[in-house]
Amino acid sequence: MREKDFWIDLLRTYAMVTTLITVVLCVAGSLLMPELTFGYQAFSAPLVYGLAGTLPNLVLYSRHELKIGELLVRKVLQLLLIEAGVFFVALYGSQSYWQRPGMLLVLGGSVLAVYIVANLFSWLADVRSARILSRELSAFQSSREES
Amino acid sequence: MEIKVCRIGKEHPEEVEIRCHEVTEEVREIVAFVKTRQGQLTGHQEGRQYEVAVTDVCYVEAVDNKVFLYTQKQVYETRQKLYELEELLREKHFLRVSKSLLLNLMKVQAIKPALNGRMMAVLRGGEEIIISRKYVAELKKALRGN
Repeated sequence: MREKDFWIDLLRTYAMVTTLITVVLCVAGSLLMPELTFGYQAFSAPLVYGLAGTLPNLVLYSRHELKIGELLVRKVLQLLLIEAGVFFVALYGSQSYWQRPGMLLVLGGSVLAVYIVANLFSWLADVRSARILSRELSAFQSSREES
Repeated sequence: MEIKVCRIGKEHPEEVEIRCHEVTEEVREIVAFVKTRQGQLTGHQEGRQYEVAVTDVCYVEAVDNKVFLYTQKQVYETRQKLYELEELLREKHFLRVSKSLLLNLMKVQAIKPALNGRMMAVLRGGEEIIISRKYVAELKKALRGN
């Protein structure tokens, strides 16, 4: 992938992640802690969590085409960096994690679950695309062999 | 170089003749172009020159400023550049699938996912070629005739 494409992709991911985090905070907060109110600084939370979730994508960048094994190693590294980033933001931004360290486990588990589900959906979408492409390829080859 | 095109009767075979003072790189390029149009590529292997049928080539890959033709069993080096071959072989169903590789779509058996939006082309001989995410869209266009 070209560097420019990579950065465009990264920005797009950041915008998407930030939006989703805002939606999750809104829904989860309304259901679990509806009595809480925040100041304007609360608007920065999705932006900061979005950065923690998106910046580790940088480890996936490579000028040459990565082999499957290389990509898997980088994906694991990406997950570890996301976990580290989210922990850092959580510990730095909220006292409650210091008082109840068990919450960090829940947070880490949630990040892992979201990461696995996101990659699973992406993989399933790729499987579907590959099936369609294989069918189209077969039709393409038949039509060219006939002509 | 002066160019002459003469019409001939159907009873004579068509031919291209290059009259030159010296066989330069430019002349070789013209010869390679004409051969490619006729479905032949010139490949080199261990100092010997071979004519390789385009239909036998599974993929063309550029490695360290050298370009190689891969058939099911042999690998030949060619003096043509990858971008030249991309232009010449487009009509022969070759498609660029990564920065350094042209794939013969007629030699692909199936397409599988390969993580991160990339795809993998499985060739009839079992070899697997990564299709970059950027070129997956090009592949879709080519298969749909766009």
